[in-house]
Amino acid sequence: MANSNLPRRIIKETQRLLSEPAPGISASPSEENMRYFNVMILGPSQSPYEGGVFKLELFLPEEYPMASPKLGRICLDILKDKWSPALQIRTVLLSIQALLSAPNPDDPLSENVAKHWKANEAEAVETAKEWTRLYASGV
Amino acid sequence: MDSEDDMHDANDMDSLDDDYYSEESIVASDEEHNSGDDYDFEDDTVEITSKQQPSKGSLIVRPPMRIRLETGKVKRDNITVYVVDGSVFPSIVAFLDRKREQGKHTTKSKSPELRVQHYTVLSEADIRQLQEDDTTRVSNVLSISKVSASILLRHYNWSVSKVNDDWFADEDRVRRTVGLLDIPVVHFPNLKEVMCGICFESYPCNKIISAACGHPFCSSCWLGYISISITDGPGCLMLRCPDPSCGVAVGQDMINVLVSEQDKEKYSRYLLRSYIENNRKTKWCPAPGCEYAVNFVMGVGSYDVACNCTYGFCWNCTEEAHRPVECDTVQKWIQKNRAESENMNWILANSKPCPKCKRPIEKNQGCMHMTCTPPCKFEFCWLCLGSWQEHGERTGGFYACNRYETAKQQGVYDECEKRREMAKNSLERYTHYYERWATNQASRLKAINDLQQMKSENFLSSLRNNKGHLQIEKLTDKYSMPETQLKFIIDAWLQIIECRRVLKWTYAYGYYLPEHEQIKREYFEFSQGEAEAGLERLHQCAEKELQEYITSAEQPTSAFHEFKTKLTGLTSVTKTFFENLVQALENGLADVDVDSVGCSRTASTKSYGGGSKKKGRGKSRGSGSDPSLEE
Repeated sequence: MANSNLPRRIIKETQRLLSEPAPGISASPSEENMRYFNVMILGPSQSPYEGGVFKLELFLPEEYPMASPKLGRICLDILKDKWSPALQIRTVLLSIQALLSAPNPDDPLSENVAKHWKANEAEAVETAKEWTRLYASGV
Repeated sequence: MDSEDDMHDANDMDSLDDDYYSEESIVASDEEHNSGDDYDFEDDTVEITSKQQPSKGSLIVRPPMRIRLETGKVKRDNITVYVVDGSVFPSIVAFLDRKREQGKHTTKSKSPELRVQHYTVLSEADIRQLQEDDTTRVSNVLSISKVSASILLRHYNWSVSKVNDDWFADEDRVRRTVGLLDIPVVHFPNLKEVMCGICFESYPCNKIISAACGHPFCSSCWLGYISISITDGPGCLMLRCPDPSCGVAVGQDMINVLVSEQDKEKYSRYLLRSYIENNRKTKWCPAPGCEYAVNFVMGVGSYDVACNCTYGFCWNCTEEAHRPVECDTVQKWIQKNRAESENMNWILANSKPCPKCKRPIEKNQGCMHMTCTPPCKFEFCWLCLGSWQEHGERTGGFYACNRYETAKQQGVYDECEKRREMAKNSLERYTHYYERWATNQASRLKAINDLQQMKSENFLSSLRNNKGHLQIEKLTDKYSMPETQLKFIIDAWLQIIECRRVLKWTYAYGYYLPEHEQIKREYFEFSQGEAEAGLERLHQCAEKELQEYITSAEQPTSAFHEFKTKLTGLTSVTKTFFENLVQALENGLADVDVDSVGCSRTASTKSYGGGSKKKGRGKSRGSGSDPSLEE
């Protein structure tokens, strides 16, 4: 079974994530695979995403912590070349939360949204609020 | 051969010897420690710095001694030689000898240029030594460890002068950027156990390892961290402490303590490679499998570099050596040779698609009645591409397709045929030059091969001919001549190899020489023709005639001496032809003065060793022989 020889580091990290969760962030391992985490990040207050709940899936590869956690398509330097084994799941999730507070339109996933954001930020913020309400509110 | 001008040159060079001891020509070595400023060149100043190892074609100067050449001091050559250090004397002498040697053969051009080869071929041992020297120098001057000096140099692309400049301008900033701390930022003096920041296990203090910063990690996590970095590539040379908030550099000392032998070796190779690849003064020889590098001092003269592996290349574009042709022309030519479009041009020019099956058909010669290959077998007229069945008396006869003529008159085929005709012409033109370019290349390779057979073990590894004897050894026995007296054969072959290379590239030059520059073109083709004819005689003599002396038993020694005189003469004459050609092309044929050519001897034509003499020879060019040389 995949969980049988889980490195002590992962066990410790998991314990700490569960016992002292970072504010606005919850991460819990899947029962079948302790390397697989269901993550929820609350939209930061004073951001267009406030009130939204953002779900993520996080996977710790075999090489973790020498290799970074796998987290879908998020443009974040510490998930790529700036990864260091001294970083943790917690630090990665906090960085993502910070990215919600201060989006980086120069390194976007969606070119259109970034263009909109740069051309008319107020309008883009409204759209973000709208989409948060529509697609990320609860449940 | 020497014109009056050339004689003056030689005298001027002699007179330079006097300057060594005159006060004003001695330039003090102002910054002994900082000879890294040899990275910076001024337009009119050349500094030649090389290493102890004597290498072919290089000036030998022991650092930090320098030769500095400045324009404007000596009238005729505009060259003054400054001596930085009295002990550089032998190198200066070598330099002057060289210059004098060149003075004999090179004709003067409008802007005299130094033809000094200012590069050094570096073996792996040389590179390590240079790297070690630079590191030691920085370490001594900045009073930091050698490992720190190495990190610093790597960060500054091995420029000693930049390291020095920045360090003395703002040491703290440099330390921060590069990650060299003098005091640790983390202390844990009273703890019995410390937790590794990666695996979160606790270890006794003595099992914990830290970089200069003190961030604690266990040895197995360090090992994993460093190994991954080394596997990822040369980025490992810039390795930092794993703590994301810390930027402290991890040096080779730590790496050597922690990782496997294999990884140590890899790291050390990356470090060596970095010294060549991140340094703008050095490049690897591009020949496959060659492990030499070349240190080049920019400023004057040709980019051609001869590596110790025998490969000659252009330092600027790293293509095969192509002097006197410019890098741009070579690039264009190489791309053209590669281009598939030439094939397309050929098909377009020489074939038409079968009107029925559409396969391209080439028509060599003969009648217009075409029959496509089976299974198509369609018979058609090459001119009108109509079915042959419809040809006959009523169309004006089989061999005069008036339907085509009519169509042509109506302009139906005009555009298409015109394009075909143009493509054909351009292709024929290209083929002309390509054939000659490629043939000279093949000849050159053959000559290299032949030379290797000629050479004795002293020169190269034992490449014996099939009779088990070196050919030179055979000649030594046969004509009781010492090997040193047979050097003329080697010289001849070296000349052939060099000339084949030059000649080859002149065909690329010729291809790109604008058609409308009629006079330049004529002059170019004349010089090229002269050079080529000379080379053919030399090659023939070295290849065929020499063979007679090697194989046949009954040749008197006197005949062999005559042969020696002939081959030596041909070598020297050919050398001169090619030097003229090279010089002319490097000047962009500027000496062909459009207004005065053919009517008077101008100063510029005079510079080619006597224009009138040349024109005289030009008349006999077709015969391809020089009476004075034919026996």
